[in-house]
Amino acid sequence: MDQRAATNGFSLPGLLEATSRGDRAAFRNLYEATAPKLFGVVLRITRNRSIAEEVLQETYIKVWQNAERFSPEAGQPLAWLATIARNRAIDRIRSEHTERITNVGDENVLDRLPSAAEADPATRATLRLCLSGLDEEARSCVLLAYCSGFSREELSERFNRPVGTIKTLLHRSIKALRACLEQE
Amino acid sequence: MNEELDIAAAEYVLGTLPAAERARFASRLAAEPELRDAVRFWGARFFPLDEAVPPEAPPPELWGAIERQTGARETAAAAAGATDVVSLRRRLAFWRGAALAGGALAAGLAAFTLLDRAAVSDLPAAGRYVAVVDTGGREPALIAEVDTATGLIRVRSLAAETPEGRSLQLWHIAEGQGPRSLGVLQAGSEAQTIQDAPSAGPVDGLIAVSVEPPGGSPSGAPTGPVVYSGRLIAVE
Repeated sequence: MDQRAATNGFSLPGLLEATSRGDRAAFRNLYEATAPKLFGVVLRITRNRSIAEEVLQETYIKVWQNAERFSPEAGQPLAWLATIARNRAIDRIRSEHTERITNVGDENVLDRLPSAAEADPATRATLRLCLSGLDEEARSCVLLAYCSGFSREELSERFNRPVGTIKTLLHRSIKALRACLEQE
Repeated sequence: MNEELDIAAAEYVLGTLPAAERARFASRLAAEPELRDAVRFWGARFFPLDEAVPPEAPPPELWGAIERQTGARETAAAAAGATDVVSLRRRLAFWRGAALAGGALAAGLAAFTLLDRAAVSDLPAAGRYVAVVDTGGREPALIAEVDTATGLIRVRSLAAETPEGRSLQLWHIAEGQGPRSLGVLQAGSEAQTIQDAPSAGPVDGLIAVSVEPPGGSPSGAPTGPVVYSGRLIAVE
């Protein structure tokens, strides 16, 4: 599925460029093409609907203000938008004590990678391969952190290990991933 | 790169840094390109995981709230004859294109004085920044280097032309803020140092040059047309 098909015929770089010029119709189309994706992402991280809604709102206000900072050479538009949304979401859940459902978490996200639309297939395949190289608990920690916003403390609770052990596990996994991602 | 920093960058992207460490790391990003590269590396590599997340429709009223918050500001600003920094930037883009051609300009900058100060920038940290100040895609008129550590701004004039009997005044327009005078450019001098860099902290926005009465704007805000402008960027 190409990018156009995924966004109802609009190209995301084009919409971002028009948004940066103050084109409100383009901004609305951009929102409609990308908000469900970003909402899915922030909902997983915040695990709280009303916080996710606030984060999404802040994200698009920021996009409206900063659309001109996107440069097509720097990467995928959706990745750029997702970075803004992710950072907002993580800042939010780390900086305040929020009510979150802790009994969730998605460790099977790897199984769904093939359906992804925008990322380069090679990047996807490499990530999958490198994540598969980690042992199961390490892989789960990385995925729960990235996809579901788990903190070290939450991981420690989930896997019944001291926080220090989780930290070490994460660091070891990161080193292994760096070596693998660079090699592939 | 330093393995410890690479791990911190990965944890920043994963979101597992504790709040204080996360804030500290974020504050270093603006000034340390190596860290930015590492964050970009991990962000791009993990991005397929975001794509694998099933989309979820946000509540329909959310768009209305976004539209109100982005549009209401513009509408209110337009009604008041003012503007927010977003439309200011757009207006600058217009001026850049339209401005210098004739030399003398009708566009007044009253709007400058009524900027919306609510918009907040996320750019952290201090460091060195540079703006290539031009008339929009044409050859640069001057280069402004801002060093927030020493508080110095160095301005090198390349082709800035001062209209007869007027002064060129330099302004910093930070995101979400009104223009702050950085001083009057000395006619005929090729390089000039101004001891008035924006205080340490976020540095972003535009460097703009307006045409003013001799000696500079009497009001503390730009009164004449903007003839050159350029975005501040962190020095790699």
